[in-house]
This record gives sequence, C-alpha cells and structure tokens, in this order.
Amino acid sequence: MSFFRRFSALYQWLYTQFHRIPSVPRNVLITGGFLCGAYFISDILMGHTGGENNSALVFVLAVVLISLLTSGYRYGILASIIGTFCINYYFMVPYSQFSLSYAGYPVAMLSMVAISCVVCALTARVKLQAAEAVSREKKAKALYQLNERLNQEKADIQLQSARETIRGNILRAVSHDLRTPLTSISGSAAVLLASGEISEKNAAMLKDIKADADDLIVMVENLLSVTRIQDSTIPLKKREEVLEEVAGDAVLTTRRRFPDFQVELVLSEDILYLPMDPMLIKQVMVNLLENAVRHSGDREHITLHLYRQDNWAVAEVRDRGTGLSPELCQAIQSGRPISRDLSGDTTRGMGIGLSVCQSIIKAHGGFFAAGNNPEGGAVFRFGLPMEDFPNE
Amino acid sequence: MSEKRTILVIEDEHAISNFICRALSANDYKPLAAASGKEGLSLFFSHGPDLVLLDLGLPDLDGLEVLSQLRGLPQEVPVIIISARDRESEKVKALDMGADDYVVKPFGVSELLARIRSSLRRFDRLKVNQGIQRDVYQVKDLTVDIAKHQVIQGEDEIHFTQNEFKILELLAIHAGKVLTYDFILEHVWGPYGGSSNQILRVNMANIRRKLKENPSAPRYIYTELGIGYRMLED
Repeated sequence: MSFFRRFSALYQWLYTQFHRIPSVPRNVLITGGFLCGAYFISDILMGHTGGENNSALVFVLAVVLISLLTSGYRYGILASIIGTFCINYYFMVPYSQFSLSYAGYPVAMLSMVAISCVVCALTARVKLQAAEAVSREKKAKALYQLNERLNQEKADIQLQSARETIRGNILRAVSHDLRTPLTSISGSAAVLLASGEISEKNAAMLKDIKADADDLIVMVENLLSVTRIQDSTIPLKKREEVLEEVAGDAVLTTRRRFPDFQVELVLSEDILYLPMDPMLIKQVMVNLLENAVRHSGDREHITLHLYRQDNWAVAEVRDRGTGLSPELCQAIQSGRPISRDLSGDTTRGMGIGLSVCQSIIKAHGGFFAAGNNPEGGAVFRFGLPMEDFPNE
Repeated sequence: MSEKRTILVIEDEHAISNFICRALSANDYKPLAAASGKEGLSLFFSHGPDLVLLDLGLPDLDGLEVLSQLRGLPQEVPVIIISARDRESEKVKALDMGADDYVVKPFGVSELLARIRSSLRRFDRLKVNQGIQRDVYQVKDLTVDIAKHQVIQGEDEIHFTQNEFKILELLAIHAGKVLTYDFILEHVWGPYGGSSNQILRVNMANIRRKLKENPSAPRYIYTELGIGYRMLED
C-alpha cells in the first residue's frame, strides 16, 4: 500500500516536473526518448535472440506509451511511422538499408501503422475521458467548497439571529419588568400623596420616592432607545410627522413632570413635515428640556424653538441659565459621547441623556450642536433633513 | 352624584391594578378588579360597569379579543385601553375597534383620572342626546355651527377651507374621543379618496394656525402623537 502510494507520489512529481516544459518540446522529447529506448531494447534483444519479430512489439509498446504521454494523435502516428522505418532499416534483413523486396514487408509495415493509429485513437479517447473526469472532480470540489462556505455563512447568520432574539427578549424583559413596577411605585406614591392621610414629614419622603421612580422610568426609556438605535439591524420606525406636534407632546410631558417650571414652545411659520421616528425625536426633545430644567438654574425662560433653515427642520432648546462649560461644549461639538466625569456628579444623568440624543439624531442623519448664547444661557440645537415633497 | 360609578379594571399586574383601584375609590368610583380576560368578561356581565379599563397584554385572552367581545354587545360601555409605549399599531387597532381612549404605560394617576372623567362625560352626553343630531358644538369659546357652516372663536368668525371645516366638524361631533388618522381620512375624504396622511397633517397644522393654537397648550384640539387627534370637551 505504502509502496503504491510512494509510486503514485513519484509519478505525480514527475508529471508536474514534466509539465513545466512547454508542450511542443516536451512532446518531441517524449517521442524521441521512447523511440530511442525502443531502438536500444530491440538492439539488445536482437543480440540475444537473433530474431526480428520482437522488435515490432517493442516499437508498438513505445508508440502506445508515446501516445499516452503526449497530447493529441500526431506524435503517436509520427512515432509509428518512424518506428516502422526504423525496424525496416535496422532490424530486418537486409540490415542497415531500406528494402521492400520481401513480399511480407509492406503488409507488416502497414499493419503496424494501422495498429499504432488505433492505439493512438484509443489512448486519446482515454485521455479525454480522464481529463473530463478531472474537470468534473474539480467542479465537484468547487461546489463542495461553495456549499461548505454557504453552510458556514448560514450558521453565522443563525447565530447572529439567535443573539438578536436573545437581545430582543432581554429588552422586552427589561421594558416589562422594570416599567411595570416603576409605574406602580410612582402611581402608588401619587395615590398616597393625594389621599391626604400622610403626615407632612412622610409626604416629603413620598414625593422623593415618586420623583425617583419617575426619573428611573425616563432612564429606562433612554436605555431602551439607545439599545434600539445601536442595534443597526432594527431599522428606525420612520414615518412622516409634523414636528410641532411632536414638540408639543414633548413640552406637555416635560410640564407634567416639572409643573413648577415654565417651558414654552415657539412654532415656526413653516409647516415642518418630515420623516422621523416620532417617539425617539420626542425623547430627544424631552431630554434636552429636562436637561435645561435640571442644570441651567433657569426656571422661567426655557423655550423650545422650531424653525426651518434651508432644508433642515431645526429644533432649539434655549435657557437663560448658567450656560455650558467650554469642555462640555467641545465634547458635544466633537461628536464623541459625553463621559460621566465631564458632566460631573452634580449633573447626574446628563451624560446618558445627551448621548442618547446624539445617537438618535445621528441615526436620523441630522446634526446636533450645543453652545452658549451670547446673551447668556445654553443653546442645544438639532436639525433633521427635510425631504422635498411635492405640494398638493 | 346619587350613586357611585362602577369601573372595571382588567389588568394582570397586581401592583398596577391595586394602585388604580385605590386611586379610583379615592375619587368616588367603585372599582372592580379582574386579573384575566375571562374573569374580566364574567365580572362585566355580572356587574354591568359604567366604564372598563383594559390592559392589552393579558395572560389568557388577547386584550383586543376582550374588546371585540365587549363591542359585540348591544349596550355600549366606554373602554379605555392601557398599553405599552412601543405598541402603537395595537393602540390604533383598539381605537379603530371602538375603544374610547388609551393611556400608555407608564402613566400618571391624574392623567388616567382625567381620561376616565372625559369618557364618562362623553357617554352621559351621548345618552342624553340619543338620536338627536346636533347642529352646533361648543368647545370653550369656539363654536362649530354645522348647519350654518360657520366657526366662531370668541367674537370673530374664522374662515376655513372645505376640508378644514370637515375635519373640525368631525372632531367636534366626536369631542372627547380619540379619532385615528385613518378614521378622519376616511370620513373627510371618503374611503376611496386616495388621500394621504400628509394632506390631513398639513390641514391640521393650518387649522391650528388659524385658531392660534399651540400644540404644547391645546385649548381645542389635542394631538395624540402617532395615533390621531381629539377635540377637548368643555
């Protein structure tokens, strides 16, 4: 077995080495080599046996091998003709000269050429079939590899979709399992506060409980949005909305949460009708308004302005408070996520709120900017691209 | 009020149902709690409540299934849907199936109570005016006169286009009820109007400008984001 393997390896090596030579010289070399070989073997045989019958068989064998190892019919037929003359010249009486004098000679020569031709044709066919078999095998191999690759890709996709399902389940669990208890905590606190059966001291505590539960609700919503935005496989639920309706809802929500603050909405003359995910855009506005409420120190002049600037629908939250630190401005301008240490401990939740805004706006293909008003206070601005829609 | 109004709360989350019931009794309603759709339906038939609060995510029956069973009955009872924030299509479906109003989790107590009051008032009014087609609707200082095709705000008459008036009229007739975009489109432009959402939204923005209405402080028309519009009651 191992001998056979070694032999086939040797054959493979010889084959490849031989095939480095261009085809014409290679074929000539093979033809010449085998004919010479046949000549020498016949010469040796004649020295030992003295008969001329063997030489014809030796030459036929050489022709068979030549037609096996060369490409096409030509070399085999050429070899058979040369061989016939060679036998006639060297190994038949009279030696060392051509002679057709004996009656059997032409018949023997013709039959040898005929046999050689038939052998050539047969080997050529065998070779053709072999070549076909090789190319079929190659194709099969390529198909197999393609199949393998497709399987791999399929497995990858399945794994990814499995991961997404898990993530979706976690999200659903978070949204359900956190929202529901938070709703009930906040709601129960509100009911108790309204009942009038709570002492003043306890009422203050209850108020804190309610406020914290409300904060957590907002935080959960923010986290949910961020996870949804960052998961690029879930497309935005965009549809056409009028920006002032979204803004109105955002302002109402903010007022409900912070009844002691004055928050105003200033509309634009233009009707800003554009595609967006209204819930996410509302969240951006709520976050910016809440930011102003919590951090600006201004209680009376928080405004949300809407206007159109070229092809942008712009919303701007202004306050007349303390303004932004240069570091924070720079961080927002550079577009990198705002880290907690920049926003500091006193501005709890500002970091996450602003990064949520940035990623939501980015996902909408809009711009986000922040700065200080020369007249005092901070300005947060974002713009969403308006698509030109045909007028009615 | 001579008798307390009964409100059926179909909600599987115990804590939520609990505080809703507390809030209801504190506001002179008689709450009835059901933790599943089937229990809710059987309580409905045995007690005949004046209003139903229905959570859409129930363990046994689909909330919409409960709603369709309630809507199949001869006597109409207002239904307010409680639903999660991110399931808008479900809310729209419920409203189109005849639910009166909805609140979104997480919701506040005062918001819920306001919606309950509004729905009950609307139904009382419907009972009183049964079968009578009114010609004039009044919301605060706004008068919508259908017969005269006239809208008066305070002292001044305001001119609206045909479609703007139709929208106002529709909202006024159903004052207090949330009307979905599709509902308004179908009733103003007809089922085959081929009308787009954009026409409605732009019309509404124009109505708002004519009424000098700021969506952050609605006096007449309340925007239900992503759902539709509702005219406030007096």
